[in-house]
Amino acid sequence: MRARHRGAAVAIALALAASACQGASTGASADGWTPPRTPDGQPDLQGVWTNYTATPFEVPDERDDLALYSGDTDGTGRGTGPAAFLTDTTGRTLAKGRSLVVDPPNGRVPILPWAEEQRTFKLLHIQDHWEHHTPWERCITRGVPGGIFPTGYGSGYQILQGPGYVAIVYEMIHEARIIPTDSRPHVGSGIRLWNGDSVGRWDGDTLVVDIANYNDKGSIATNAATQRVRSIPQSQDLHVVERFTRVDENTIDYEATIEDPKVFTAPWRVAIPLHREPDYRIFEYACHEGNLAIPNTLSAGRALRVRPR
Amino acid sequence: MRTTLVIAAAGLAVLAGGAPAVAHHSFAAEFDGTKPVTLTGTVTKMDWINPHAWLSIDVKGPDGKVVSWMVEGGAPNALLRRGWNKSSVPAGMVVTVQGYRARDGSNRANGRDVTLPDGKKLFIGSPGTGAPGEGR
Repeated sequence: MRARHRGAAVAIALALAASACQGASTGASADGWTPPRTPDGQPDLQGVWTNYTATPFEVPDERDDLALYSGDTDGTGRGTGPAAFLTDTTGRTLAKGRSLVVDPPNGRVPILPWAEEQRTFKLLHIQDHWEHHTPWERCITRGVPGGIFPTGYGSGYQILQGPGYVAIVYEMIHEARIIPTDSRPHVGSGIRLWNGDSVGRWDGDTLVVDIANYNDKGSIATNAATQRVRSIPQSQDLHVVERFTRVDENTIDYEATIEDPKVFTAPWRVAIPLHREPDYRIFEYACHEGNLAIPNTLSAGRALRVRPR
Repeated sequence: MRTTLVIAAAGLAVLAGGAPAVAHHSFAAEFDGTKPVTLTGTVTKMDWINPHAWLSIDVKGPDGKVVSWMVEGGAPNALLRRGWNKSSVPAGMVVTVQGYRARDGSNRANGRDVTLPDGKKLFIGSPGTGAPGEGR
């Protein structure tokens, strides 16, 4: 709780610093667009951004059990929703490629069989135990980088910058990251975190964030739009490198390279455009204030055990 | 052996009607799509809570007995973006709610349309949950 208050204080400080940065200069080079700078010279990523997209997370494969990922496992057509993965609810056509997974080139995440088996077991037995729910359903976190994987609502992200720090406020389940940009070492290996330890640096105009020190309790992805990857576990060996590059006034190209040799056969990379939405209002999403879905789902499971269908 | 397998998930879908696809958890894990219910009753409160709003109504049965029901809605931010506000369904208003019953048999339902006294319909649900007939 104390840490949370400290985080809030830092966020407020960053917000104040950000407001001081509003007058930052904007410049364009002769041969192309260059990002504006904050007064202390950082590339300016600040603003409210959304990640709506019409691009599927993975390239679909006919062997995919879309019903499983979407919740329709009793054949009634009534799962979590249609086996769709479009999360562009804006009416625009926001598709840039055949999948958000850009590496490997086939657009498929190289998941080890045991991890898929664990995911399938959890999804099939979701009513049996709270631990079978993803951390998102439990209102803990959507993860890093999973918190930036599109889900179709609660899609706002606010980036704030102050000297030596970048803060990202996630609308969905009300998360905030405070990222130092001084390339400091990661925290000690004994410290394990749901979202890992984020350490940033600037590589030219790109914010590069290295994340390590994960615990092994989370999921690399939590929502159905991530298809086959949803509820795939993360190990303590998970290592993620994020890159935020503002490529024009209204677009940040976001990329995350994910490696976890205990879970995946090779590193993989996902690329997601973030769209500047100055008029988008980020609402509070205090996920834990009334998360009745968990007790109600477990209660449904108990009822089914008493009265099997 | 249980044959009904249900999945919780973060719902999403873009349906033909173009409504936002929203759901923090699954329809099927908690509610039964084969058990539609229509409830007419008096609003006692609307909880604007996350991750899903809940509408409470008192429903008078044929025997005159009043039964309290809880109706699950979409996320508050999704309802706000859809046009709902604090005064959409004030306490005391008589509304008719269409929805689907909870699998555990309790007096809870997943809400879909809410019909107001003037006949106006408000969609309270989470499109993309896979609830039957949600072509909106």
